[in-house]
Amino acid sequence: MNAIEIRNLSKSFRGMYAVDKLNMTVPVGAIYGFIGENGSGKSTTEKLICGHLVADGGEIKLFGKSFTDAGVRVRVGALIENAGCFPNSSVWANLMMQAINLGLENRDEEIRRVLKIVRMEDSARIKFKSCSLGMKQRIGIAMALLGNPALLILDEPINGLDTDGMRIMREILVEVTQNLGCTVLISSHILGELEKIATHYGIIRQGRMIQELSAREMESRSRVFVSVKTKDMTGAEQALRNKFYNVKREGEYVCIYDVDDTEAIVEHLIKNGHIVSEVRKNKIGLEEYYIELMSKKEEL
Amino acid sequence: MQTAHGLNFESPSLIKRLKGMLGVDFYRLFHTPLFYIFLGIAAIIPALVSMGSAMGDAEETTSLFNNAWQIIAANEPLYVVNDIGEYANMNMVFIFGGIMISIFIGHDYKSGYVKQLFTTHSKKQDYMTSKTLLGAFSMACMCLTYLFGGVLSGAFTGLSFNVNAGSLICAILGKIIMSLGWASLYTFINIIFRAKFGISIALCFILGTGIPVIGAAALIGNTPALNVFLYGSSVYACLSANALAVFICLMNSAVWTTVYIVCGTIILSKRDVY
Repeated sequence: MNAIEIRNLSKSFRGMYAVDKLNMTVPVGAIYGFIGENGSGKSTTEKLICGHLVADGGEIKLFGKSFTDAGVRVRVGALIENAGCFPNSSVWANLMMQAINLGLENRDEEIRRVLKIVRMEDSARIKFKSCSLGMKQRIGIAMALLGNPALLILDEPINGLDTDGMRIMREILVEVTQNLGCTVLISSHILGELEKIATHYGIIRQGRMIQELSAREMESRSRVFVSVKTKDMTGAEQALRNKFYNVKREGEYVCIYDVDDTEAIVEHLIKNGHIVSEVRKNKIGLEEYYIELMSKKEEL
Repeated sequence: MQTAHGLNFESPSLIKRLKGMLGVDFYRLFHTPLFYIFLGIAAIIPALVSMGSAMGDAEETTSLFNNAWQIIAANEPLYVVNDIGEYANMNMVFIFGGIMISIFIGHDYKSGYVKQLFTTHSKKQDYMTSKTLLGAFSMACMCLTYLFGGVLSGAFTGLSFNVNAGSLICAILGKIIMSLGWASLYTFINIIFRAKFGISIALCFILGTGIPVIGAAALIGNTPALNVFLYGSSVYACLSANALAVFICLMNSAVWTTVYIVCGTIILSKRDVY
């Protein structure tokens, strides 16, 4: 069973399609990184799943049931754009309202539990408007975590956070999937961060899903390369071309693609009379893969 | 603690869903100053009206109110009014109630909390029903503080308290019942103009004053046919009211509430939430 299954989902605003026959499959227990440029339809898709927008056509299923099923929807937690809290009410009061809304028993205990998960036990009495951006995002996550959600939908939760804030957010997301068994759909521009936690990826462009792949598939498609720096760069490049298949000059470096044996490269250069001043082992990650994919589609 | 691994999706009953949403609305109502401010306003209005009339010369005072209960309801069901004395009564609660409901629902949208509500509540009628019931409760409370303020100001200005107790009870009961119908109208307006907070408030104010019905009455005269409107039935609950007036208020309120909740639910289901 999949947590989210979308078929041919469309949504237009004044004749312009924000989501255009989108297909999407999010397996249960996944952290699904939803990637795309600004205006590619990520937020619109998330709002459609949450029932905030009405689709022009298509089908959304959550855990095998229609997304309008009250039983499923009560187990969906969302952080779309902002936390959706009342600014003049305290963090505790905002969480209490959501706990009441969900009809939870042991509300105080539940609120303490989610505050602990988001590392905000000591900030419960602060007014929401007095919280920093990072705190507000974490409160949003806490709101979404109330009521033991089976699915978390998070729209750009790490945007605007500092390094520490990102780390905390990352830890929280890993914790909720591993310990609580929650499926997470997370959209973000910060691909480096997403790469650290996502188990699956969906890449969307102009409202259409252009690729869905698991982190393992992503890993297998990732290219490794070694970059070297010598005094005589032209000579070194020529020497490397004689032995290795894919050699390119990239700025101050000579890059040897699809090879990670640095020792063999250095040995070969020394044999040919080149003194190596710098060697780096690199990997093309999600960001580079995404850029490459986007540029390919641009060409098409 | 149960984890999501269980993936057990039990559909909550209508009662459970409504209990949740009403619970949030009432929590907000009692934990924010808005409700108390409007209760205060409802208590002060009769004082302002009666004090204002008492400050004029003696003749004018007599022409506005000669009985304290006229601050609560008019003697007769007058849809066309000649002076402020015939107009200014408990019906004014419905004007301020409209503003309060607009602010309350407006905050739902402005803060973004509406997203939380609609994420977890897929049934849109939950929202319409909850806001209507909350608005009705608020206006009913405002009617009571208005009554309290009216009695106090009547006593201070030395007005007579002679009245047919049965008719007075019918009038007050009728107006309290009408709170439900008015609340559904205001909720409906706020659903239509949810992104345009100013328009919602202005429209609620205009409809709450009863101007369209007063205008219609000026054209077609003081006819009981105007009781089909919320303002008409609210006026009908006057100091000459009887059980029939209460029944008319009950029917009017129930029918309009059903119409507005159904229409509001359809609009919410067919259009984007925000």
